[in-house]
Amino acid sequence: MTLAANSETSFSPSTAPRAPSRKPRRSAATSTLGISLATLGSLIALWFLAAHFEWASPLFLPSPTEVLTQLGAVWADGYANGTLLDHTLASLGRIAAALGVGIGLGVPLGLLMGLNRWVKGIFSVPIDLYWGLPPLAYLPLLIIWLGIGETSKIVLLSLSTFAPICFAAQAGVRSVPDERINAALSLGASRLQLFTSIILPSALPEIMTGLKIAIGAGLSTLVAAELIAAQSGLGYMIMSAANFLATDVVFVGLIVIAILAFAFTCGMRWLEHRLIPWKGKL
Amino acid sequence: MLRIRDASVTFPGSNGQDVHALDHVSLDIAPDSIVVAVGASGCGKSTLLNAIAGFLPLSEGSITLDGREIVAPGGDRGVVFQKDTLLPWANVLDNVGLGLKYRGMGRGERHEHSRRLLELVGLADFAEKPPYELSGGMRQRVGIARALATDPKVLLMDEPFGALDSLTRETMQQLLASIWAKTRKQILFITHSIEEALTLGTTIVVMSPRPGRIVARFDAGFIREFAESGDIGPIQSDPRFIELREEIRSLIHRPEGARTRTPHRTGTLQ
Repeated sequence: MTLAANSETSFSPSTAPRAPSRKPRRSAATSTLGISLATLGSLIALWFLAAHFEWASPLFLPSPTEVLTQLGAVWADGYANGTLLDHTLASLGRIAAALGVGIGLGVPLGLLMGLNRWVKGIFSVPIDLYWGLPPLAYLPLLIIWLGIGETSKIVLLSLSTFAPICFAAQAGVRSVPDERINAALSLGASRLQLFTSIILPSALPEIMTGLKIAIGAGLSTLVAAELIAAQSGLGYMIMSAANFLATDVVFVGLIVIAILAFAFTCGMRWLEHRLIPWKGKL
Repeated sequence: MLRIRDASVTFPGSNGQDVHALDHVSLDIAPDSIVVAVGASGCGKSTLLNAIAGFLPLSEGSITLDGREIVAPGGDRGVVFQKDTLLPWANVLDNVGLGLKYRGMGRGERHEHSRRLLELVGLADFAEKPPYELSGGMRQRVGIARALATDPKVLLMDEPFGALDSLTRETMQQLLASIWAKTRKQILFITHSIEEALTLGTTIVVMSPRPGRIVARFDAGFIREFAESGDIGPIQSDPRFIELREEIRSLIHRPEGARTRTPHRTGTLQ
């Protein structure tokens, strides 16, 4: 069994008992969990069979045991100037920095764009324009401007996480029901109180949705950028391995990325549960 | 005293013609009175309430509260909406105390005050619950408690029981009557139910659409009886109640052409 299967099982008990007030939902979740686990098991079994009977050449499709052995080797001895942990931390560091910039700039600017006609008018056109571009199309330009080092990659990633967060914050402000604002005003709220006690919390569900989209966009841009121009990171490790037809290491890289993506999804779900348990109600 | 003088609200209509949502309406709401505005949809009754609350600017005329002109929403006018506007992220107690928080009242004092109001509306046991775990009627009770918490001079209620089932509605009417008897707030209450208007109003104004204006006003006092007995049955079968009900009904259902020629009519009972 691979790590993916383990994380699936450790994930289930943390979600199942946490929603005691919604019985129908929970029973639906537990009933699909068994099916999902069975599907995962079947896929791995199929992989075993395919590798065992050599339906494809071992050069193209390594067996699960080989991948697992290679995982241990890459973990301990490293591959392409670094251990697996080094590459993972390099990738995570980049995405964390990009998310920090995306949230730090995207949330305030998005909120302002939702509140003020002028701010919206000024910023929406440039953001709309660059957001339509595939990030890899302007990566070469960023490299010319900022060099091949970390700066260009973090700027690229920040650009890809900034836009969805900014749009979401803006949509969040506009989704606040007028009646909720009127109610607060007739209770004597000042402009600042209206913002902190009504608009910001009302916009939070949209902002969280934007954050989820930003993580997805950031992760795919990250790996793509590392494939093209990097000396560390999971994308770089996969690319180096592919150059030497080390398919088992490619698989190791893919599995780690899949686990990271899954962990992000679970983390966001947990965060939503903590921050906005009221989402969609009332 | 809330004083409305020649208040008009005009919107630009979709076909280029202006819509007179409110046309030269004059009305006083004296302390100690419940004025109920009743009429078909589009008669301007909600527009009137929104103008008093300060959500809508007047095109003409003026509204003053104790001599001060109303230009914006403010804490001196509590509003209860048809759709509850409670904050889902705050529990019932904090929802009730929202206006007190805006005034800078400390947490302890705020909670104490809010608990007293929850007792008044009969929800003392639900203080810690999130609002979405409450029924529609209970949420409206929280809304009333929240509007009363800051002790506003006027309470504005925009079809607050319109979305409730008829049994819950009766309970809520009882609750409002008893609150009014205890607090003697001046209240403007909007409804499209003639029975509700007669049960709750010390003054009932009948409004008609296109343009929105007051076509008749009646004085009634059934609420005093209702607040005392808590029993709606004998009141609604009172011959005077039935007579007034039929009169208001005929005013509301009068064809539009006939309505505009009707002079203002004032009836008094009790």
